[in-house]
Amino acid sequence: MTVVSVRDLWTRRGDSDVLRSIDLEVQAGEIVAVIGASGSGKTTLLRALNYLTPFTAGEVEIAGHRLRPGMSERLDSAALRSVRTRVGMVFQSFNLFPHLTALENVIEAPLRVLGLERAVAMERGQTLLARVGLGEHARAYPDRLSGGQQQRVAIARALAMEPVVMLFDEPTSALDPRLVGEVLAVVGDLATAGQTMVIVTHEMWFARRVAHRVVVLAEGRIVERGTAEEVFERPLTTETRALLGRGEGR
Amino acid sequence: MWPGRRREVPKLLLKRRALVWARSIALLALVAACGRVGGDDGVAAMRARGTLRWGGDVQGGEPYVFQDPARDRLTGFEVEIADALARRLGVRAEFVQNDWQTLIPSLERGDFDVALNGIEVTPARRARVAFTRPYYAFSETLVVPRSTSGVHGLTDLHGRRVGTLEGSLALDLLRAEPGIDVVLYEGVEEPYLDLERGRIAAVLLDNIIAARYGLPRPTLRAAGTVGDGVYAIAVRPDRPGVLTAVDGALAAMIADGELRGILERWKLWDDRQGTVAASAPIPVDAAGRAGLTLAHLPLFLRGAAFTVVISLLAMAIAIVGGLVLSVIRRYAGPVSRGAAGLYVEVFRGTPVLLQLYVLYYGLAPILTLDAFTAAVVGLGLNYAAYESELYRAGLEAVPVGQTEAALALGMSRWLTLRRIVLPQALRVAVPGVANDFIALLKDSSLVSVITVVELTKQMTITAVDVRGWLGPGILCAALYLALSYPLSRLARHLERRLAPARA
Repeated sequence: MTVVSVRDLWTRRGDSDVLRSIDLEVQAGEIVAVIGASGSGKTTLLRALNYLTPFTAGEVEIAGHRLRPGMSERLDSAALRSVRTRVGMVFQSFNLFPHLTALENVIEAPLRVLGLERAVAMERGQTLLARVGLGEHARAYPDRLSGGQQQRVAIARALAMEPVVMLFDEPTSALDPRLVGEVLAVVGDLATAGQTMVIVTHEMWFARRVAHRVVVLAEGRIVERGTAEEVFERPLTTETRALLGRGEGR
Repeated sequence: MWPGRRREVPKLLLKRRALVWARSIALLALVAACGRVGGDDGVAAMRARGTLRWGGDVQGGEPYVFQDPARDRLTGFEVEIADALARRLGVRAEFVQNDWQTLIPSLERGDFDVALNGIEVTPARRARVAFTRPYYAFSETLVVPRSTSGVHGLTDLHGRRVGTLEGSLALDLLRAEPGIDVVLYEGVEEPYLDLERGRIAAVLLDNIIAARYGLPRPTLRAAGTVGDGVYAIAVRPDRPGVLTAVDGALAAMIADGELRGILERWKLWDDRQGTVAASAPIPVDAAGRAGLTLAHLPLFLRGAAFTVVISLLAMAIAIVGGLVLSVIRRYAGPVSRGAAGLYVEVFRGTPVLLQLYVLYYGLAPILTLDAFTAAVVGLGLNYAAYESELYRAGLEAVPVGQTEAALALGMSRWLTLRRIVLPQALRVAVPGVANDFIALLKDSSLVSVITVVELTKQMTITAVDVRGWLGPGILCAALYLALSYPLSRLARHLERRLAPARA
């Protein structure tokens, strides 16, 4: 089953095209890693999938809903909400709600968007926090948690909506190196559990380990795509080789 | 009687306040530099200076002392009297501008030789200063709407609201009549305006004022005359020489008909004036001296309670209005955003005093608010503009990632605002709100211009009653401090607790 289908997607910022004719499909249970140099459009692509960044042409079908160019936050809010309720997103800078505890962060949307009973939401929240290893920190405010812990709460928050696909936007880039491992371990557990995911990352070793497929972006185009093994072992383009730190001659 | 008659109200009012301050500061400096003026009985100093310095308030208006718009100089029947007196004393008349309410204290301090500006001879004033023989006899005219019948005197007005001016003889008369609800004004136009609007049942003021400002209005009529009094020239009690000299000159003016000529020119002459000629100087009479007593305390506490209630209600309006404005300015379409922006600029860019005036007097033909409501609404609308800026800064301080995270969870824009963005924005704004409330507490004193008696107004009323500003001033200041100090402690506490935001 196809969960994400992107056809001929273009986005524009100012006078330049950020994404140029992107085509991408993600199947249920699949993990796709998006890699590329800074400014290649990775994050823009990810944010176009739940329309946090509007696109100018093309089409996105995600979680059974269709996104069109030129939708507006105000006029199409119902359509956008029905997509976003089914699509989880984890940000580079966590974006936890600082005035809510870890548990409150997790249950806010289930309570107010899904309309779950408080007891049901609390139980779901506790379970998810335990799953990301933070069962003891349910009542802590974000400023009492380390970056790695905050990002794990953010993952639990996204999972609480039981999304059909999770989008990760460089989830470890803002972390102290010694905290990267704990977050990637959680993502790895999700992979094992069969969660459909699109992961934008710089951690090549991690992409290689968990991703079923890898797409390489350069200057807004997909320049290479294939299984993790194909892309990392036998890169075809100079862009991919440069990204992997391998010179032309090697 | 009339602490400031003004027709072009707000501009003059502001000018007056600025003037009072400027003068107070200048005088402090002067007093510090030279000490008290003169050591003798004052006449020698006057002659040496070559001027008779006389104090009055140019905002008093026609026909007393006022700016002649055509010729850019002072005019009025009292200007002519002062000029005539000075000429007879062989000196030149020099006008000293002074807020009407503080003419007596300024005279006592030595700012001028005499105070000559419609000063009614009352027991309270006689306790402080000496008076020459009167130069004008007046009566108190009771004015009611033409539609009112059955009102002939004060006894017919029990349980009704009657307007007059602060510190006036009319006020003494009204107070002596139990059961009348007295409404105090600061200008001579306003009581008659309110009478026309039905906000009060009657106005009691000197017949000169009634004739010039009340009776020309076609909907009003005179219901009768209640008591009478005289205007006289006030002189410091320790300057018997000045009293004798000025009173002598005045007696001569009366004797040779010059005074009558002046009064006739100003159409002020009537039969009553004949009695003036027979009078004598009026010495100080300490019997009327009243001090600040414990009995004043409940009045001040009542004023403070009014200040608190007005401030709390106005702040509630300001917070709700500020929230709405700030959200519109950040999230709404360009037209609403422009309108909200214009609101903020207008209310922040014009004096709150002017806004109160427009709301209470200006809008009266369309929307007749009572004074209390107008005070609360006026201050609330004004402070809403300031609050909206505070909240807007708070909203802008919330990172865009917060909104994105909420939207990405499927939350609606409204839910995002209400549950995620506003709580954080308000946290940033809370210390500012506490500070604004302290400012509002003090700004609420401005509502006295629309007849609300709050703490500051109570202070000025008492100060006029007891002829002293120090005691009432200290009591008033102490009460304001008692109200604002805990608040400023709270604001500081909140600042410390909330400043390192949980982000």
